[in-house]
Amino acid sequence: MLLQKEHAETYVQEHRYPLSLAPEMPSVWDLWQRSKTLEWDPQVDIPWESLNPEQYDPDAILAARRYWSRRTWGEYGAISESPALLLRFNLENRLPDLRFYFTMRTQEEGRHAEASWLMAERLGGYFPQPENPPTAGAVGTHGVRRMAFDPDTSLEGIFAALVCAAEEILIDVFKATLHKATNPAVRRLMQLILRDEVRHIAFGWKCLDAWAPTFTPETVTNIETAVITMIENVEFRGYRNLWLAIEGGDATPEEIDADRASCEAGLGGNTPEDEMKVFPDFVKKIRARMAPWGVELPLFHHPRLGAI
Amino acid sequence: METDPASLLKAYQGQEKAFIERRFPLRFTPEIPVIRELYNQAKGLRWDPTTDIPWARFDPDALADDVREAARLTWSRRAWSTYPGIGENTALLVRLCLESGALGMDAKLFLSFRPAEEAKHLEVCFMLAERLGGYMADPVDIELRELSNHPFAQAALDKELPIEAFVAALGALDDQLELNLATARLQSSRNEVMRQALRLIATDKQRHVMFAWGFLDARLSALAAAEKAIVIDAICELVEEVIFVGYRNACLLPSTIREVWLEADELAAKHGLGASSAEMERRILRVTVAQLRERLAVWGLVLPQFEHTELGII
Repeated sequence: MLLQKEHAETYVQEHRYPLSLAPEMPSVWDLWQRSKTLEWDPQVDIPWESLNPEQYDPDAILAARRYWSRRTWGEYGAISESPALLLRFNLENRLPDLRFYFTMRTQEEGRHAEASWLMAERLGGYFPQPENPPTAGAVGTHGVRRMAFDPDTSLEGIFAALVCAAEEILIDVFKATLHKATNPAVRRLMQLILRDEVRHIAFGWKCLDAWAPTFTPETVTNIETAVITMIENVEFRGYRNLWLAIEGGDATPEEIDADRASCEAGLGGNTPEDEMKVFPDFVKKIRARMAPWGVELPLFHHPRLGAI
Repeated sequence: METDPASLLKAYQGQEKAFIERRFPLRFTPEIPVIRELYNQAKGLRWDPTTDIPWARFDPDALADDVREAARLTWSRRAWSTYPGIGENTALLVRLCLESGALGMDAKLFLSFRPAEEAKHLEVCFMLAERLGGYMADPVDIELRELSNHPFAQAALDKELPIEAFVAALGALDDQLELNLATARLQSSRNEVMRQALRLIATDKQRHVMFAWGFLDARLSALAAAEKAIVIDAICELVEEVIFVGYRNACLLPSTIREVWLEADELAAKHGLGASSAEMERRILRVTVAQLRERLAVWGLVLPQFEHTELGII
C-alpha cells in the first residue's frame, strides 16, 4: 500500500529539488540558532521543590489546576495543529530558514504542553477535559491545521492570525502578569515559556515584514480576514481566556473564574482587569504594526472590553 | 510525477479531513513508559551542530582535491536522504493528534522533538558539504531525483494505511538501517570531526529506532490479521522498491547512475571521511533485514525472503 498509492499517484510527489539549505533570511536563521542554545527541560529546569501546593487555600489550588490544565489544552493545540505549517513550508518549498526554525518551534510547544501538564499535576491533578467538553469549537481548536492545508488561505494570513495575533496576545498577558506569579516554580515556568514565545512571535513579524513589499491587495485582504477571524471567532469565544467568551459557551462559572482566582493566589493566570487593560493595548499595537503593510483592522466590539 | 504546491496541499487537506479529531479527554499520563523515557532522554541529550562539533579542527585543505570532492558528493547526497525525515515525522505527529487526544501522548511528545533532531542532522550534512567545497542542492540526474523523493509524509497521514505499517517500514526498517549505517560509518571514519558528527547523529538515531520498536511493541499484538498483512506488505514494498534501488546505499543505485556516487563513497570511505565501503554497506543491509525478520517474528509476523540480483537472497 505504501508504494502502490505512489505509483497510482494517489500520493502526490513534492517538487523537492533543488533542495536549498543555505540561510536566506538571516534574522530567521538566527532564531533557529538561538533556539538550539536555549533548550530546557520542564522536568529539571523548574524549581518544583518550591511549588509547595499545601501552603495554598484549596479553592486557589483548584483554580490553579483548572488554569494550568486549560493552558495544557491550548499548548497541545500548538503541537497538534501548527506542525501542519511545517509540512506546508516543505510542500511549497519555502526558504530553508523557515523549515529549520519551525522544527524547533514544534519541539518548544511540546515542552510547553508537558510543563503546563506537570504544573497542573503537581498542584494536585490535571483535568483532562473541560467540565462540558466541546465536540468542536472555541475551547478545542484555533483552526490553524485546517488553514495550513488550505491552498486558498495564504501563508501570510496564517502567520498574521496565529503568530501576530493569537501568540502575541498570549505573551502580552504573560508579560503583564508575570510579576503577580509569586510562586517561584510558577514564575520560572512562565519565564521559560515567555522566552520561547518571544522567538515564536519574532519569527512571524520578521517574515511578514520581509514579505510586505510583495503583498498584493489579495494578500492584504487575506491577512485582514485571518486576523479578524482569530480575534472574533477564537479570542472572543474564549479559546485563551474563558472570561472573554461573548456567548458564554459551556464553561461553568468556576472554570471562567479560575484564571482570576489562580492569579490572585500567585499561581499564574490573569484577572479580568488585566484583560481590560492588555487586550485593547494589544489590538492597538497590532493595528499600528500592520498598517504599513496596508492592513486595516476594524474596530472590534466586545460586551466587556467595549469598542477596541 | 512532481506536483504543484496547491495540488499537494489539496491532497494533504483531503487526508486531514478524513479524520474526525476527538481532542478530549486529553490525556498526558504516560502509557508507554519506554517512549516517555526516550522523550526525556531527547531533552537531556540535546546538542547543537554549530557548537558541539569541533569545526575549527576540520581542515579540508589538507585533503587531495579528488578526495574532498568525493566527500562533498557523499555528504550532499546524505543531506537529500536526511531531509525527508523532517516532513515524515511531522506528518506522523499530526496523524497521532488527529486520531485521538486520549491516546499516544508519549509518542506525540517524542515526535514533537524528532523533526528538530532531523533538522540538526541535515544541518550537519550541509555544514560538512559546505566545508568540503560546497553543498550540492540538486542531484541533477532525473532518475536520482525520483529515487530520493517519495511521498512518505503523505503516507503518514493516510487513514487507510495503519500507522503501525508506517512505523514498521519507516522506523523499524529504515531508521534501523540508518542507525546501522551510521554506526558502521563511524567505525570506519578517522577524521575526528566526522566521527563526532556521526556519533551525535547515531545517538539520536538510537532513540528513533527504540521509538519504533517501543511503539510497535505496544500496538502490533492488537492488530487484526489483515492489518498485520499490511504491515508486512509495507516493509516489503520499502525493501524492494526503495531500499534495493539505492535510497540509502550508493552501491545499490541503478547502474546507469551509480558510478559517480559509488566512487565518491568508496574514496570517502578509504580516507575515513564518514562513509563506508560498498562491501560493508551490503553487509549492513543484510544484517538489518535479518534483525528485522527475527524481531517481527515475536508478534507472529513473517517477513519473506527478498531476492536481489547483486545481493542474492536475503
